[in-house]
Amino acid sequence: MINDVYKTVLSILNKNNYGYITPQDFNLYAKQAQLDILDDYFTNYNYQVNKENARQSGTGYADLKKGYEEVIDGLSETKNLTQNATNTYFLPSQVTTSDDYYLINKVLCSRGVTFLGEAERVSHSKITMLNNSSLTAPTEKFPAYVQNGSAITVFPATINGANDVQAQYIRYPKDPKWTFTTITGGTPIFDQTQADYQDFELAIDDQVDLVMKILHMAGMSIREIQAVQFAKAEDQINIQEKK
Amino acid sequence: MAYITQFQYYDNAGATPTNKNWGSYQYVSLYDIVNNYQLMYMGNHSLVNNESRYKVLFHAKRAIQELNYDAFKEIKVLELPIDENLRFILPSDYVNWVRISLYKDGVLRPLTENIQVGSALAYLQDNTGKFLFDQDGNVLSPEYSTLDFERIKGTKKSIYLNKNSQFDGFEGYCCDGCWYFDYPGSARYGLNTETANANPTFTIDKKSGVINFDSTMSGENCILEYISDGMENGDDSLITVNKMFEDFVYAYITYAILDSKLNVQEYIVRRSQKKKTALLRNAKIRLSNIHPGRLLMNMRGQDKWIK
Repeated sequence: MINDVYKTVLSILNKNNYGYITPQDFNLYAKQAQLDILDDYFTNYNYQVNKENARQSGTGYADLKKGYEEVIDGLSETKNLTQNATNTYFLPSQVTTSDDYYLINKVLCSRGVTFLGEAERVSHSKITMLNNSSLTAPTEKFPAYVQNGSAITVFPATINGANDVQAQYIRYPKDPKWTFTTITGGTPIFDQTQADYQDFELAIDDQVDLVMKILHMAGMSIREIQAVQFAKAEDQINIQEKK
Repeated sequence: MAYITQFQYYDNAGATPTNKNWGSYQYVSLYDIVNNYQLMYMGNHSLVNNESRYKVLFHAKRAIQELNYDAFKEIKVLELPIDENLRFILPSDYVNWVRISLYKDGVLRPLTENIQVGSALAYLQDNTGKFLFDQDGNVLSPEYSTLDFERIKGTKKSIYLNKNSQFDGFEGYCCDGCWYFDYPGSARYGLNTETANANPTFTIDKKSGVINFDSTMSGENCILEYISDGMENGDDSLITVNKMFEDFVYAYITYAILDSKLNVQEYIVRRSQKKKTALLRNAKIRLSNIHPGRLLMNMRGQDKWIK
Protein backbone atom coordinates (compact mmCIF):
# COMPACT_ATOMS: atom_id res chain seq x y z
CA MET A 1 0.00 0.00 0.00
CA ILE A 2 2.84 2.38 0.81
CA ASN A 3 3.97 2.66 -2.80
CA ASP A 4 0.45 3.50 -3.94
CA VAL A 5 0.22 6.21 -1.33
CA TYR A 6 3.63 7.55 -2.27
CA LYS A 7 2.81 7.68 -5.97
CA THR A 8 -0.58 9.29 -5.36
CA VAL A 9 0.90 12.00 -3.15
CA LEU A 10 3.62 12.75 -5.67
CA SER A 11 1.13 12.70 -8.49
CA ILE A 12 -1.10 15.30 -6.84
CA LEU A 13 1.85 17.50 -5.95
CA ASN A 14 3.46 17.23 -9.36
CA LYS A 15 0.28 17.64 -11.33
CA ASN A 16 0.03 21.29 -10.46
CA ASN A 17 3.77 21.71 -10.17
CA TYR A 18 3.45 22.30 -6.43
CA GLY A 19 6.73 20.61 -5.76
CA TYR A 20 8.36 17.35 -4.77
CA ILE A 21 8.95 15.54 -1.49
CA THR A 22 11.89 13.27 -0.84
CA PRO A 23 11.45 9.68 0.34
CA GLN A 24 12.89 10.68 3.72
CA ASP A 25 10.26 13.40 4.14
CA PHE A 26 7.56 11.08 2.91
CA ASN A 27 8.50 8.48 5.53
CA LEU A 28 8.31 11.05 8.29
CA TYR A 29 4.91 12.30 7.16
CA ALA A 30 3.70 8.73 6.67
CA LYS A 31 4.53 7.87 10.27
CA GLN A 32 2.65 10.92 11.57
CA ALA A 33 -0.33 10.22 9.33
CA GLN A 34 -0.52 6.61 10.46
CA LEU A 35 -0.45 7.58 14.16
CA ASP A 36 -3.07 10.21 13.56
CA ILE A 37 -5.39 7.68 11.92
CA LEU A 38 -4.79 5.15 14.70
CA ASP A 39 -5.92 7.75 17.23
CA ASP A 40 -9.01 8.39 15.15
CA TYR A 41 -9.85 4.71 15.23
CA PHE A 42 -10.45 4.75 18.96
CA THR A 43 -12.44 7.98 18.80
CA ASN A 44 -14.55 6.65 15.94
CA TYR A 45 -15.03 3.35 17.72
CA ASN A 46 -16.41 5.14 20.76
CA TYR A 47 -18.60 7.29 18.51
CA GLN A 48 -20.08 4.16 16.94
CA VAL A 49 -20.72 2.60 20.35
CA ASN A 50 -22.67 5.69 21.35
CA LYS A 51 -24.60 5.55 18.10
CA GLU A 52 -25.49 1.93 18.76
CA ASN A 53 -26.72 2.83 22.22
CA ALA A 54 -28.88 5.53 20.65
CA ARG A 55 -30.19 2.87 18.22
CA GLN A 56 -28.79 4.78 15.25
CA SER A 57 -26.60 2.03 13.95
CA GLY A 58 -27.31 -1.11 11.98
CA THR A 59 -26.06 -4.66 11.90
CA GLY A 60 -24.37 -6.73 9.21
CA TYR A 61 -22.78 -4.48 6.56
CA ALA A 62 -24.01 -1.43 8.45
CA ASP A 63 -22.01 -2.43 11.51
CA LEU A 64 -19.20 0.10 11.26
CA LYS A 65 -17.94 -0.71 14.73
CA LYS A 66 -16.93 -4.16 13.61
CA GLY A 67 -14.61 -2.67 10.97
CA TYR A 68 -12.84 -0.54 13.56
CA GLU A 69 -12.51 -3.52 15.87
CA GLU A 70 -10.89 -5.57 13.13
CA VAL A 71 -8.24 -2.94 12.44
CA ILE A 72 -7.52 -2.36 16.13
CA ASP A 73 -7.35 -6.11 16.78
CA GLY A 74 -4.85 -6.36 13.94
CA LEU A 75 -2.43 -4.54 16.22
CA SER A 76 -3.19 -6.75 19.22
CA GLU A 77 -0.36 -8.64 20.91
CA THR A 78 -0.33 -11.04 23.85
CA LYS A 79 3.09 -11.43 25.42
CA ASN A 80 4.71 -12.26 28.73
CA LEU A 81 5.84 -9.25 30.70
CA THR A 82 9.44 -9.15 31.85
CA GLN A 83 9.81 -9.31 35.61
CA ASN A 84 11.48 -6.36 37.25
CA ALA A 85 11.39 -7.42 40.91
CA THR A 86 9.10 -9.83 42.83
CA ASN A 87 5.59 -8.75 41.85
CA THR A 88 6.66 -5.87 39.58
CA TYR A 89 6.75 -6.30 35.81
CA PHE A 90 7.86 -4.04 32.98
CA LEU A 91 5.22 -2.78 30.59
CA PRO A 92 5.73 -3.70 26.92
CA SER A 93 8.53 -1.73 25.26
CA GLN A 94 11.03 -2.08 22.46
CA VAL A 95 13.51 -3.49 24.99
CA THR A 96 11.26 -6.07 26.64
CA THR A 97 8.65 -7.09 24.07
CA SER A 98 10.08 -5.53 20.87
CA ASP A 99 7.15 -3.17 20.49
CA ASP A 100 5.66 -0.12 22.20
CA TYR A 101 2.15 -0.35 23.54
CA TYR A 102 -0.65 2.05 22.74
CA LEU A 103 -2.95 0.72 25.42
CA ILE A 104 -2.99 -2.25 27.79
CA ASN A 105 -6.26 -4.09 27.33
CA LYS A 106 -5.83 -6.79 29.94
CA VAL A 107 -3.26 -8.32 32.26
CA LEU A 108 -3.48 -12.07 32.80
CA CYS A 109 -1.97 -13.84 35.79
CA SER A 110 -1.02 -17.49 35.99
CA ARG A 111 1.16 -19.87 37.90
CA GLY A 112 3.01 -22.18 35.56
CA VAL A 113 0.40 -23.46 33.14
CA THR A 114 -2.49 -22.79 35.54
CA PHE A 115 -4.43 -19.66 34.76
CA LEU A 116 -5.30 -17.72 37.91
CA GLY A 117 -7.29 -14.70 36.82
CA GLU A 118 -7.34 -11.43 34.97
CA ALA A 119 -5.79 -8.58 36.93
CA GLU A 120 -7.80 -5.42 37.16
CA ARG A 121 -6.19 -2.02 36.79
CA VAL A 122 -6.72 0.02 39.94
CA SER A 123 -5.76 3.64 40.53
CA HIS A 124 -3.20 4.57 43.15
CA SER A 125 -5.89 6.38 45.09
CA LYS A 126 -7.81 3.12 45.55
CA ILE A 127 -5.20 0.38 45.87
CA THR A 128 -4.40 0.96 49.56
CA MET A 129 -8.05 0.79 50.54
CA LEU A 130 -8.55 -2.20 48.29
CA ASN A 131 -5.66 -4.08 49.88
CA ASN A 132 -7.08 -3.31 53.34
CA SER A 133 -10.59 -4.41 52.47
CA SER A 134 -11.64 -7.77 53.86
CA LEU A 135 -14.21 -8.40 51.14
CA THR A 136 -12.43 -7.09 48.07
CA ALA A 137 -8.70 -7.38 48.73
CA PRO A 138 -7.00 -8.75 45.60
CA THR A 139 -6.70 -12.52 45.54
CA GLU A 140 -5.13 -14.90 43.06
CA LYS A 141 -8.58 -15.40 41.53
CA PHE A 142 -9.24 -11.67 41.41
CA PRO A 143 -5.83 -9.96 41.14
CA ALA A 144 -5.26 -6.24 40.67
CA TYR A 145 -2.41 -4.06 39.47
CA VAL A 146 -1.24 -0.48 39.57
CA GLN A 147 1.03 1.25 37.12
CA ASN A 148 4.29 2.81 38.27
CA GLY A 149 6.08 4.53 35.41
CA SER A 150 7.11 1.89 32.92
CA ALA A 151 6.18 -1.03 35.18
CA ILE A 152 3.16 -2.50 36.89
CA THR A 153 2.87 -3.92 40.41
CA VAL A 154 0.59 -6.92 40.70
CA PHE A 155 -1.39 -7.81 43.82
CA PRO A 156 -1.46 -10.11 45.71
CA ALA A 157 2.30 -10.28 45.97
CA THR A 158 2.17 -14.08 45.71
CA ILE A 159 1.98 -13.59 41.96
CA ASN A 160 5.70 -13.20 41.50
CA GLY A 161 6.98 -15.81 39.06
CA ALA A 162 9.13 -14.81 36.10
CA ASN A 163 6.46 -15.93 33.63
CA ASP A 164 3.38 -15.37 35.76
CA VAL A 165 2.15 -12.19 34.11
CA GLN A 166 1.03 -11.74 30.54
CA ALA A 167 -0.47 -8.70 28.84
CA GLN A 168 -2.79 -8.33 25.90
CA TYR A 169 -2.26 -4.89 24.44
CA ILE A 170 -2.60 -2.80 21.33
CA ARG A 171 0.82 -1.91 20.03
CA TYR A 172 1.78 1.09 17.97
CA PRO A 173 1.99 0.27 14.27
CA LYS A 174 5.52 -0.07 12.98
CA ASP A 175 6.97 3.03 11.34
CA PRO A 176 6.20 2.88 7.61
CA LYS A 177 9.21 3.04 5.35
CA TRP A 178 9.15 3.51 1.60
CA THR A 179 12.44 1.94 0.55
CA PHE A 180 14.14 2.45 -2.77
CA THR A 181 17.18 1.87 -4.94
CA THR A 182 18.73 4.78 -6.72
CA ILE A 183 19.33 4.46 -10.40
CA THR A 184 21.30 6.69 -12.68
CA GLY A 185 19.86 10.17 -12.80
CA GLY A 186 19.03 10.16 -9.12
CA THR A 187 15.43 8.98 -9.41
CA PRO A 188 14.52 6.66 -6.54
CA ILE A 189 12.82 3.44 -7.58
CA PHE A 190 10.62 1.60 -5.08
CA ASP A 191 12.24 -1.57 -3.74
CA GLN A 192 10.33 -3.58 -1.17
CA THR A 193 13.08 -6.18 -0.86
CA GLN A 194 15.13 -3.86 1.31
CA ALA A 195 15.58 -5.12 4.89
CA ASP A 196 14.07 -2.03 6.47
CA TYR A 197 11.00 -1.93 4.22
CA GLN A 198 7.77 -1.49 6.15
CA ASP A 199 4.29 -1.07 4.76
CA PHE A 200 1.46 0.74 6.53
CA GLU A 201 -0.32 -1.41 9.10
CA LEU A 202 -3.76 0.02 8.54
CA ALA A 203 -6.70 -1.14 6.46
CA ILE A 204 -6.59 -0.55 2.70
CA ASP A 205 -9.59 1.78 2.93
CA ASP A 206 -7.42 4.13 4.96
CA GLN A 207 -5.37 4.84 1.87
CA VAL A 208 -7.42 7.94 1.05
CA ASP A 209 -6.98 9.29 4.56
CA LEU A 210 -3.26 8.59 4.45
CA VAL A 211 -2.86 10.40 1.15
CA MET A 212 -4.76 13.42 2.39
CA LYS A 213 -2.91 13.64 5.69
CA ILE A 214 0.48 13.27 4.01
CA LEU A 215 -0.54 15.78 1.37
CA HIS A 216 -1.57 18.14 4.12
CA MET A 217 1.84 17.90 5.77
CA ALA A 218 3.68 18.03 2.46
CA GLY A 219 1.71 21.14 1.45
CA MET A 220 2.69 22.80 4.69
CA SER A 221 6.28 21.82 4.05
CA ILE A 222 6.47 23.32 0.60
CA ARG A 223 4.30 26.25 1.68
CA GLU A 224 1.66 25.57 -0.89
CA ILE A 225 -1.63 26.73 0.57
CA GLN A 226 -3.80 25.21 -2.15
CA ALA A 227 -2.43 21.74 -1.46
CA VAL A 228 -3.14 22.20 2.24
CA GLN A 229 -6.68 23.43 1.64
CA PHE A 230 -7.41 20.64 -0.80
CA ALA A 231 -6.19 18.00 1.66
CA LYS A 232 -8.07 19.59 4.52
CA ALA A 233 -11.32 19.74 2.58
CA GLU A 234 -11.01 16.09 1.54
CA ASP A 235 -10.25 15.11 5.10
CA GLN A 236 -13.40 16.83 6.34
CA ILE A 237 -15.51 15.07 3.72
CA ASN A 238 -14.04 11.74 4.78
CA ILE A 239 -14.82 12.38 8.43
CA GLN A 240 -18.42 13.30 7.65
CA GLU A 241 -18.89 10.23 5.50
CA LYS A 242 -17.70 7.96 8.29
CA LYS A 243 -20.32 9.34 10.62
CA MET B 1 -17.07 -23.72 36.42
CA ALA B 2 -16.80 -26.31 33.75
CA TYR B 3 -18.90 -29.44 33.95
CA ILE B 4 -17.13 -32.39 35.52
CA THR B 5 -17.18 -36.06 34.66
CA GLN B 6 -18.90 -38.66 36.81
CA PHE B 7 -15.47 -39.92 37.84
CA GLN B 8 -14.50 -36.46 39.05
CA TYR B 9 -17.84 -36.10 40.82
CA TYR B 10 -17.87 -39.37 42.71
CA ASP B 11 -14.15 -39.93 43.27
CA ASN B 12 -12.59 -36.50 42.73
CA ALA B 13 -10.65 -38.19 39.91
CA GLY B 14 -8.83 -40.33 42.45
CA ALA B 15 -7.51 -37.40 44.45
CA THR B 16 -8.15 -36.78 48.11
CA PRO B 17 -10.56 -35.88 49.55
CA THR B 18 -12.67 -38.10 47.35
CA ASN B 19 -15.91 -36.47 48.52
CA LYS B 20 -14.86 -32.97 47.43
CA ASN B 21 -17.36 -32.69 44.57
CA TRP B 22 -20.35 -34.38 46.14
CA GLY B 23 -23.37 -32.14 45.82
CA SER B 24 -21.34 -29.48 44.05
CA TYR B 25 -23.83 -29.27 41.20
CA GLN B 26 -26.26 -27.41 43.45
CA TYR B 27 -23.91 -24.48 43.68
CA VAL B 28 -22.35 -21.84 41.50
CA SER B 29 -19.03 -20.39 42.56
CA LEU B 30 -18.30 -16.75 43.32
CA TYR B 31 -15.80 -16.73 40.47
CA ASP B 32 -18.50 -17.82 38.03
CA ILE B 33 -20.94 -15.25 39.38
CA VAL B 34 -18.50 -12.37 38.86
CA ASN B 35 -17.36 -13.69 35.51
CA ASN B 36 -20.89 -14.25 34.21
CA TYR B 37 -22.04 -10.89 35.48
CA GLN B 38 -19.28 -9.04 33.71
CA LEU B 39 -19.91 -11.01 30.55
CA MET B 40 -23.69 -10.74 30.46
CA TYR B 41 -24.72 -7.65 32.39
CA MET B 42 -21.86 -5.22 31.87
CA GLY B 43 -20.69 -3.60 28.69
CA ASN B 44 -21.20 -0.90 26.11
CA HIS B 45 -24.86 -1.72 25.56
CA SER B 46 -25.86 -2.62 29.10
CA LEU B 47 -27.31 -0.69 32.01
CA VAL B 48 -24.10 -1.21 33.94
CA ASN B 49 -20.96 -0.02 32.22
CA ASN B 50 -17.50 1.21 33.15
CA GLU B 51 -17.63 -0.20 36.67
CA SER B 52 -14.63 -1.75 38.38
CA ARG B 53 -14.63 -5.48 38.92
CA TYR B 54 -13.94 -5.05 42.61
CA LYS B 55 -17.29 -3.31 42.95
CA VAL B 56 -19.03 -6.25 41.31
CA LEU B 57 -17.12 -8.58 43.61
CA PHE B 58 -18.07 -6.56 46.66
CA HIS B 59 -21.78 -6.53 45.83
CA ALA B 60 -21.73 -10.23 44.92
CA LYS B 61 -20.26 -11.04 48.33
CA ARG B 62 -22.74 -8.77 50.07
CA ALA B 63 -25.58 -10.52 48.29
CA ILE B 64 -24.26 -13.90 49.41
CA GLN B 65 -23.91 -12.63 52.99
CA GLU B 66 -27.49 -11.38 53.01
CA LEU B 67 -28.72 -14.69 51.65
CA ASN B 68 -26.84 -16.56 54.35
CA TYR B 69 -28.49 -14.49 57.04
CA ASP B 70 -32.10 -15.18 56.19
CA ALA B 71 -32.70 -17.15 53.03
CA PHE B 72 -30.39 -20.13 52.97
CA LYS B 73 -31.15 -23.07 55.14
CA GLU B 74 -27.51 -23.87 55.53
CA ILE B 75 -27.03 -24.27 59.23
CA LYS B 76 -23.63 -25.23 60.54
CA VAL B 77 -23.36 -27.44 63.60
CA LEU B 78 -20.47 -27.54 66.06
CA GLU B 79 -20.15 -29.84 69.08
CA LEU B 80 -17.84 -28.95 71.95
CA PRO B 81 -17.58 -30.18 75.55
CA ILE B 82 -18.05 -27.51 78.19
CA ASP B 83 -15.15 -27.25 80.61
CA GLU B 84 -15.14 -25.88 84.14
CA ASN B 85 -15.13 -22.30 82.82
CA LEU B 86 -18.66 -23.01 81.58
CA ARG B 87 -18.16 -21.25 78.31
CA PHE B 88 -18.35 -22.14 74.67
CA ILE B 89 -16.13 -20.02 72.44
CA LEU B 90 -18.09 -18.97 69.36
CA PRO B 91 -16.85 -20.50 66.09
CA SER B 92 -14.59 -18.34 63.91
CA ASP B 93 -17.29 -17.96 61.24
CA TYR B 94 -20.17 -17.42 63.67
CA VAL B 95 -22.69 -14.71 62.83
CA ASN B 96 -25.83 -15.74 64.71
CA TRP B 97 -27.17 -18.77 66.56
CA VAL B 98 -30.15 -20.89 65.62
CA ARG B 99 -30.35 -23.40 68.47
CA ILE B 100 -28.15 -24.49 71.34
CA SER B 101 -28.63 -27.97 72.75
CA LEU B 102 -27.27 -30.27 75.37
CA TYR B 103 -26.44 -33.73 74.09
CA LYS B 104 -26.85 -36.21 76.89
CA ASP B 105 -27.79 -39.88 77.08
CA GLY B 106 -28.28 -39.98 73.30
CA VAL B 107 -30.89 -37.24 73.43
CA LEU B 108 -30.60 -33.73 72.07
CA ARG B 109 -32.11 -31.29 74.57
CA PRO B 110 -32.67 -27.76 73.27
CA LEU B 111 -31.64 -25.21 75.87
CA THR B 112 -33.39 -21.97 76.69
CA GLU B 113 -31.65 -18.64 76.72
CA ASN B 114 -31.43 -16.90 80.03
CA ILE B 115 -31.81 -13.23 79.33
CA GLN B 116 -30.93 -12.34 82.90
CA VAL B 117 -27.39 -11.13 83.27
CA GLY B 118 -25.09 -14.03 84.04
CA SER B 119 -21.68 -12.53 83.46
CA ALA B 120 -20.06 -9.22 84.28
CA LEU B 121 -16.77 -7.37 84.27
CA ALA B 122 -15.51 -6.25 87.67
CA TYR B 123 -12.89 -3.70 88.83
CA LEU B 124 -10.63 -4.08 91.83
CA GLN B 125 -11.02 -1.49 94.59
CA ASP B 126 -9.18 -0.85 97.80
CA ASN B 127 -10.84 -0.72 101.22
CA THR B 128 -11.77 2.93 100.71
CA GLY B 129 -13.53 2.16 97.43
CA LYS B 130 -10.85 3.63 95.16
CA PHE B 131 -10.10 1.84 91.91
CA LEU B 132 -6.75 0.11 91.51
CA PHE B 133 -4.71 0.75 88.38
CA ASP B 134 -1.72 -0.89 86.76
CA GLN B 135 1.42 0.97 85.62
CA ASP B 136 -0.18 1.75 82.25
CA GLY B 137 -3.13 3.45 83.88
CA ASN B 138 -5.60 0.69 83.20
CA VAL B 139 -7.99 -0.31 85.91
CA LEU B 140 -7.35 -3.77 87.37
CA SER B 141 -9.92 -6.53 87.03
CA PRO B 142 -10.27 -9.80 88.96
CA GLU B 143 -10.35 -13.05 87.02
CA TYR B 144 -14.03 -13.47 87.76
CA SER B 145 -16.70 -11.08 88.90
CA THR B 146 -18.86 -12.25 91.80
CA LEU B 147 -21.64 -12.91 89.31
CA ASP B 148 -19.36 -15.08 87.19
CA PHE B 149 -17.87 -16.81 90.20
CA GLU B 150 -21.22 -17.79 91.62
CA ARG B 151 -22.41 -18.98 88.23
CA ILE B 152 -19.29 -21.04 87.59
CA LYS B 153 -18.98 -22.44 91.06
CA GLY B 154 -22.71 -23.01 91.40
CA THR B 155 -22.81 -21.07 94.66
CA LYS B 156 -25.73 -19.00 93.49
CA LYS B 157 -29.09 -20.07 94.77
CA SER B 158 -31.49 -21.38 92.19
CA ILE B 159 -34.66 -23.40 92.08
CA TYR B 160 -34.43 -27.16 91.92
CA LEU B 161 -36.84 -28.69 89.44
CA ASN B 162 -37.56 -32.39 89.59
CA LYS B 163 -41.15 -33.40 89.91
CA ASN B 164 -40.12 -36.88 91.10
CA SER B 165 -38.23 -35.46 94.05
CA GLN B 166 -39.50 -34.21 97.34
CA PHE B 167 -37.31 -31.13 96.82
CA ASP B 168 -39.04 -30.11 93.61
CA GLY B 169 -39.36 -26.32 93.57
CA PHE B 170 -36.98 -25.78 96.53
CA GLU B 171 -34.29 -23.12 96.43
CA GLY B 172 -30.84 -24.63 96.71
CA TYR B 173 -27.30 -24.76 95.43
CA CYS B 174 -26.02 -26.87 92.58
CA CYS B 175 -22.37 -27.81 92.91
CA ASP B 176 -20.66 -30.26 90.58
CA GLY B 177 -24.02 -31.70 89.61
CA CYS B 178 -25.21 -32.26 93.21
CA TRP B 179 -27.92 -30.16 94.85
CA TYR B 180 -27.71 -28.84 98.38
CA PHE B 181 -30.52 -27.21 100.33
CA ASP B 182 -30.31 -24.95 103.38
CA TYR B 183 -33.19 -26.60 105.15
CA PRO B 184 -36.17 -28.70 104.21
CA GLY B 185 -39.18 -26.57 103.68
CA SER B 186 -42.31 -26.39 101.75
CA ALA B 187 -42.39 -26.04 98.00
CA ARG B 188 -41.74 -22.63 96.55
CA TYR B 189 -44.41 -20.97 94.53
CA GLY B 190 -44.23 -17.97 92.22
CA LEU B 191 -41.86 -19.71 89.89
CA ASN B 192 -39.87 -17.62 87.44
CA THR B 193 -41.14 -19.32 84.30
CA GLU B 194 -38.52 -17.70 82.16
CA THR B 195 -35.81 -19.85 83.65
CA ALA B 196 -38.02 -22.75 84.70
CA ASN B 197 -36.38 -25.54 82.82
CA ALA B 198 -34.69 -28.66 84.09
CA ASN B 199 -31.97 -28.24 81.47
CA PRO B 200 -29.11 -25.76 81.85
CA THR B 201 -29.58 -22.23 80.56
CA PHE B 202 -27.17 -20.06 78.65
CA THR B 203 -26.39 -16.43 77.93
CA ILE B 204 -24.58 -15.23 74.84
CA ASP B 205 -21.90 -12.63 75.41
CA LYS B 206 -21.48 -11.40 71.84
CA LYS B 207 -18.71 -8.91 72.48
CA SER B 208 -16.62 -11.43 74.38
CA GLY B 209 -17.38 -14.08 71.78
CA VAL B 210 -18.54 -16.74 74.23
CA ILE B 211 -21.68 -18.51 75.35
CA ASN B 212 -21.88 -18.69 79.14
CA PHE B 213 -23.70 -21.59 80.78
CA ASP B 214 -24.87 -22.20 84.29
CA SER B 215 -22.94 -24.62 86.49
CA THR B 216 -25.07 -27.66 85.57
CA MET B 217 -23.54 -27.63 82.10
CA SER B 218 -20.06 -28.44 83.34
CA GLY B 219 -18.56 -31.41 81.53
CA GLU B 220 -21.54 -31.77 79.19
CA ASN B 221 -21.55 -31.78 75.41
CA CYS B 222 -22.96 -28.68 73.79
CA ILE B 223 -24.28 -28.65 70.24
CA LEU B 224 -24.35 -25.23 68.63
CA GLU B 225 -26.39 -24.73 65.48
CA TYR B 226 -25.48 -21.44 63.87
CA ILE B 227 -25.36 -19.49 60.65
CA SER B 228 -22.35 -17.95 59.01
CA ASP B 229 -22.06 -15.35 56.26
CA GLY B 230 -20.82 -17.78 53.62
CA MET B 231 -17.45 -16.06 53.21
CA GLU B 232 -15.53 -19.26 54.02
CA ASN B 233 -12.89 -17.50 56.09
CA GLY B 234 -11.90 -15.27 53.20
CA ASP B 235 -11.13 -18.04 50.75
CA ASP B 236 -12.85 -16.82 47.57
CA SER B 237 -12.37 -20.16 45.84
CA LEU B 238 -14.69 -21.84 48.37
CA ILE B 239 -17.50 -19.29 48.25
CA THR B 240 -20.56 -20.66 46.50
CA VAL B 241 -24.23 -19.88 46.21
CA ASN B 242 -27.16 -22.16 45.53
CA LYS B 243 -28.22 -22.03 41.88
CA MET B 244 -31.76 -21.12 42.93
CA PHE B 245 -30.34 -17.75 43.99
CA GLU B 246 -28.06 -17.14 41.03
CA ASP B 247 -30.41 -14.76 39.26
CA PHE B 248 -31.07 -12.94 42.49
CA VAL B 249 -27.35 -12.31 42.98
CA TYR B 250 -27.10 -10.79 39.49
CA ALA B 251 -30.15 -8.64 40.16
CA TYR B 252 -28.75 -7.59 43.53
CA ILE B 253 -25.45 -6.49 41.96
CA THR B 254 -27.24 -4.51 39.25
CA TYR B 255 -29.47 -2.81 41.79
CA ALA B 256 -26.62 -2.02 44.17
CA ILE B 257 -24.52 -0.47 41.40
CA LEU B 258 -27.35 1.51 39.80
CA ASP B 259 -28.59 2.69 43.16
CA SER B 260 -25.26 4.29 43.99
CA LYS B 261 -24.50 5.63 40.54
CA LEU B 262 -24.92 9.22 39.56
CA ASN B 263 -27.47 10.25 36.90
CA VAL B 264 -29.34 6.97 36.70
CA GLN B 265 -33.03 7.65 36.25
CA GLU B 266 -35.12 6.75 39.27
CA TYR B 267 -37.43 4.49 37.28
CA ILE B 268 -34.47 2.34 36.29
CA VAL B 269 -33.34 2.08 39.90
CA ARG B 270 -36.87 1.15 40.99
CA ARG B 271 -37.15 -1.42 38.23
CA SER B 272 -33.96 -3.11 39.31
CA GLN B 273 -35.06 -3.01 42.93
CA LYS B 274 -38.38 -4.69 42.12
CA LYS B 275 -36.61 -7.32 40.07
CA LYS B 276 -34.23 -8.07 42.91
CA THR B 277 -37.03 -8.37 45.46
CA ALA B 278 -39.16 -10.57 43.20
CA LEU B 279 -36.27 -12.89 42.47
CA LEU B 280 -35.48 -13.25 46.15
CA ARG B 281 -39.10 -14.17 46.86
CA ASN B 282 -39.10 -16.69 44.01
CA ALA B 283 -35.89 -18.29 45.18
CA LYS B 284 -37.11 -18.55 48.77
CA ILE B 285 -40.29 -20.29 47.61
CA ARG B 286 -38.29 -22.67 45.47
CA LEU B 287 -35.89 -23.48 48.26
CA SER B 288 -38.68 -24.03 50.78
CA ASN B 289 -39.55 -27.22 48.86
CA ILE B 290 -43.26 -26.98 49.48
CA HIS B 291 -44.78 -29.86 47.54
CA PRO B 292 -47.78 -32.16 48.07
CA GLY B 293 -45.70 -35.08 49.33
CA ARG B 294 -44.31 -33.02 52.18
CA LEU B 295 -47.59 -31.39 53.08
CA LEU B 296 -49.30 -34.77 53.13
CA MET B 297 -47.03 -36.06 55.85
CA ASN B 298 -47.75 -33.00 58.01
CA MET B 299 -51.47 -33.12 57.33
CA ARG B 300 -51.67 -36.72 58.50
CA GLY B 301 -51.45 -35.41 62.03
CA GLN B 302 -54.75 -33.54 61.74
CA ASP B 303 -56.90 -36.52 62.72
CA LYS B 304 -54.86 -37.38 65.76
CA TRP B 305 -56.76 -37.25 69.02
CA ILE B 306 -55.35 -34.85 71.54
CA LYS B 307 -55.93 -36.28 74.98
